Amino acid sequence: MIIKIKLIGRYKTIAGQDNLQFDANTGTTIRQVIDMFVKQYPLVEKDKKFMMVSKNNALTSVDTPIGEGDEITICPPVVSGG
Amino acid sequence: MQSNRYHRQMLVKEFGEQAQQILAAKHVVLIGGGGLGSHSADLLVRMGIGSITIIDNDVVDSTNLHRTSLFTEEDLGNPKAMVLQQKLHAVNSEVKVAGVRRVVINENIEALVRGADVILDGTDSLPLRYLINDVSIKRDIPWVYAGVCDTVGMVMGVIPKKTPCLQCISKDIPEQSTGETPVLGSLPATTAAIQVNETLKLLLGRPLAGLIVYDVWNQCFETMKISRNPECPVCVKARWKML
Repeated sequence: MIIKIKLIGRYKTIAGQDNLQFDANTGTTIRQVIDMFVKQYPLVEKDKKFMMVSKNNALTSVDTPIGEGDEITICPPVVSGG
Repeated sequence: MQSNRYHRQMLVKEFGEQAQQILAAKHVVLIGGGGLGSHSADLLVRMGIGSITIIDNDVVDSTNLHRTSLFTEEDLGNPKAMVLQQKLHAVNSEVKVAGVRRVVINENIEALVRGADVILDGTDSLPLRYLINDVSIKRDIPWVYAGVCDTVGMVMGVIPKKTPCLQCISKDIPEQSTGETPVLGSLPATTAAIQVNETLKLLLGRPLAGLIVYDVWNQCFETMKISRNPECPVCVKARWKML
């Protein structure tokens, strides 16, 4: 299946595009999507543990499987400076 | 209300005299009066908020000056809360501005935010944000998170038990680094303006945007729609993390 991913913020700059597509097997998890994203764009490696990934507008466990048609969004970590 | 002070604002069709009057009856508590907080306070006072309490225990430092507009070199060493009280009173004497020089902790936060219609986050501390989140949910007071780092600003308004709280999204928040946070000087003003807009929506009963992300290099705003975590220990199960 094709997984379509919407990128937020500087991830768009890093990827040079607003959206990504990965070819994946049924049952691919959020964690595997993050791994694919990091592998393709090593600049985001430092965020790996903290990036926010939503499936259909809900932040879910990294072990959550993704199905055909799910909307995936990857957002950089929340910032805490003032 | 001075006759023409808000004239141009009241010309905004979706705002008008009615919203101006609503704003004039509202009280906000701002926790943190630095880069973000000073800008947010300035905007709210100029726009005609009824009253604002600004809580900060720090003094103005030279490292603050690149990202603030109210503080000057003459203010160095003086308490931020009191400097803001004085300067914002000069900006708009119709607004009740109270500076409070105090460290916000779990033992005093409930008293400090009592009576607030909205709590604004101007801190640079992650634990304090969790504390604000706890008291917001416990006391049913909306709050508006705002944070900046490098060239990224984020804002999220929270309506207790209706929209996601900080804890709902917190499994993905990194621990605060012990070093100083890098911040581009223009970023807090932009982020504070977004924070004030979300505050305005809360006060006027308009829907919030979700988690708003502003990235300087992309020069664009984006919104990440997030649902509440049905297992959230704070806003669902009322287990306070910091209180």
